[in-house]
Amino acid sequence: MPAKLSRRSFLELTGLAGLGAAVTGCSTGPPSGAATWAMWSSSAAEKKVWEDFSQYVEQQLGVKSVPTLTPSSGYPTKLDLQLVSGTASLVTAINGTLIPTYAARGAHRPLDDLIAADPDFDLDDFYPTSRRLSSFNGKTYGIGFDVAPTVMYYNKTLLQKQGIPLPSRTEPMPWATFRDLAKQLTGDGQYGFTCAPAIDDLVSWIYCAGGNVMNDAADRSTLGEPQALEAIQFVIDLFVQDKVTPPIKNLVTESSLSNFIQGNVAFMQNGPWQVVNVRKAKFDWDVIPFPAGAAGSTPRVSGSSFAIPSGVREGAELDLAWKLLKTLTSTGALDIYAKAGRNNPARLSAGSAFKAPPDNLGIVQEILAGKIAGGHAFDVTTNWNQVKQLLGQDLPRTFLGQVSVTDAIAGLTPRLDILMRQHQDTVRQATARKG
Amino acid sequence: MAVDTAPPAAAAPTTNTTNSKPTPRWRNRESLTAWLFILPSLIGFLSFTAGPVIAAGVISLLDWNLFSAPTWAGLRNFARLGPDPTFWSALGNTAYFTLVSVPLTILVSLALALLLNQGLKRVAVFRSLLLLPYATITVAVAFVWIWLYIPHDGLVNAVLGWFGISGPQWLISDTWAMPALIAMSVWKSFGFGMVVFLAGLQAIPQQLYEAARVDGTSTWQSFRNITLPMLSPALFFVIVTSIIGSFQVFDQALIMTNGGPGTRTTTLVMYIYRTGFENYDQGYAAAQSLVLFGFIVLITAAQFTMQRKLVHYDN
Repeated sequence: MPAKLSRRSFLELTGLAGLGAAVTGCSTGPPSGAATWAMWSSSAAEKKVWEDFSQYVEQQLGVKSVPTLTPSSGYPTKLDLQLVSGTASLVTAINGTLIPTYAARGAHRPLDDLIAADPDFDLDDFYPTSRRLSSFNGKTYGIGFDVAPTVMYYNKTLLQKQGIPLPSRTEPMPWATFRDLAKQLTGDGQYGFTCAPAIDDLVSWIYCAGGNVMNDAADRSTLGEPQALEAIQFVIDLFVQDKVTPPIKNLVTESSLSNFIQGNVAFMQNGPWQVVNVRKAKFDWDVIPFPAGAAGSTPRVSGSSFAIPSGVREGAELDLAWKLLKTLTSTGALDIYAKAGRNNPARLSAGSAFKAPPDNLGIVQEILAGKIAGGHAFDVTTNWNQVKQLLGQDLPRTFLGQVSVTDAIAGLTPRLDILMRQHQDTVRQATARKG
Repeated sequence: MAVDTAPPAAAAPTTNTTNSKPTPRWRNRESLTAWLFILPSLIGFLSFTAGPVIAAGVISLLDWNLFSAPTWAGLRNFARLGPDPTFWSALGNTAYFTLVSVPLTILVSLALALLLNQGLKRVAVFRSLLLLPYATITVAVAFVWIWLYIPHDGLVNAVLGWFGISGPQWLISDTWAMPALIAMSVWKSFGFGMVVFLAGLQAIPQQLYEAARVDGTSTWQSFRNITLPMLSPALFFVIVTSIIGSFQVFDQALIMTNGGPGTRTTTLVMYIYRTGFENYDQGYAAAQSLVLFGFIVLITAAQFTMQRKLVHYDN
């Protein structure tokens, strides 16, 4: 017969259980000596790739691998809080656009001393653009795991149905041809082109026209200069005047990928990182080089890297962190990444693993190698989030036809110039801190 | 609920009260029990409310990018507020949201509470259904409303189309983005006020209405002279909590419009979040937070001052 439990005993037991749960919860963490690393992951397919990475790390290093996977939208905030609280992993993934932001604030350590002291590590096996994207102020802060230029996806089925000859697989078409083609392919619920109404996509056109968001010294905005204005106007005209793009329903949820996948859009501007998603499309498609402007076909090249937080202690901890970083960016690991179709690997020796479909996927590496068309590393500042926020406020309104391009840029330029000056201050402070 | 720890006035003297010192009030068994019950909430309040408010006060006086050591800034972060157009735009948007959404929410809540209080059959079912939006996660609701507001194929514009009205481009319109957010927020939050009002209405003694009927008062007069005064404590509670909540509006604006178009729906909390966690300007974000805190304290204090005249309590 069960003993009767008094109310007092029940409350005492509940209290003890709560305390026990709290203590257990607080003490949970990775085992000492584990290879901890942080990465964004927003789908089951991505998670599978990182689990395979984790197994590979355990095989290579003989220690427990503990990846912390976070959905990409919440990854930067979580990383920030972990870096500040000293609970960050030994190695953390960073998008290339944020490397100057973190490096300038001392959140991650330079890797040059580790690279120099390690004769086994061959930095030359990484694409030069990946190395550039992983550096800040003359120092290497990350080792790339993927790098790729923006390309133009096209719906082969749609073009063939309209009797339009397929575009060249290697020769970038001029902007004027692209515009004509987009207009020709628009009508009856069908659209010629789709891209995101944001600076991330706009910048490829600006680079192709010979412009940039800021000057070489990054102390002044150059969006108001003729090349940049011409490029922005060209894209806005596709949206507002020619109406060759699907109507924008919401600036937040607008997705060029979902527009393209529906099968009624002829061309989509995007990176090879979307190949894995476009493979779900129920039509025939391929990729071609980005259309060429006055400066040629030089779209944005972006990439991501692994880096070591500044909080990692010298000695055994740093030694493990460096070994882990090397393993995560090794040819073997990047082969796993490329074979899964996630993106083009940052290492030349892993390039062959990123294979068709689509048939013409090989142009990604040829563009990076400078054999066809070209690319332009995504130039960013140490306050790129702020620059992006500012551009994200007023530029999308031009896509809606609410504001003219010249008015929007005229309003943005003084505020961008302030941000550029702040960027210069941050660079100066970072240089001074470096001593 | 207050715990009365005072001994009864007519309690019989006990043998051990003559020579020993009286037990301090806080060591009284009932007091200790009360403190024990309060403790979890108190720890939570001190850790997650009072602590961060004090920390924000200190951080607002520093230049701190999260990762490097902070440096002293004095009042510089507060001085930056004046010439910052985005801050004033965000403050204006938040005030607009509050001024429109709070009265609307209260009107809808009160109307529905009055309707449910008419002795309808299956009132519990209606009450539960009407409370559903409040119980649903804002993020999920926001995504549903994004679909409702789609300019060409969305349900809202389809319904307007039945009446020959060409609906606006809601979430991408300079004029209509904020009203669209307000409509969604009113729909999301009226359930809370409705339940509070319903409880208040059901606590009003029926004799008052019977006496009024005998005196020949109209329905409006009964509402004006009995229902409203008797409901005023509930009304006051809902107004105070709604205003505080609306000043902190964040998630629906972030998901549905991301503050746009332009800065038309950028709210103050959204701007604080971006300043602190996207721009790594913790000192300036803390200064903005304190200004927001000051506004809420001032408005709430004004409401408490006014309630002495306008709110009718039984005692």
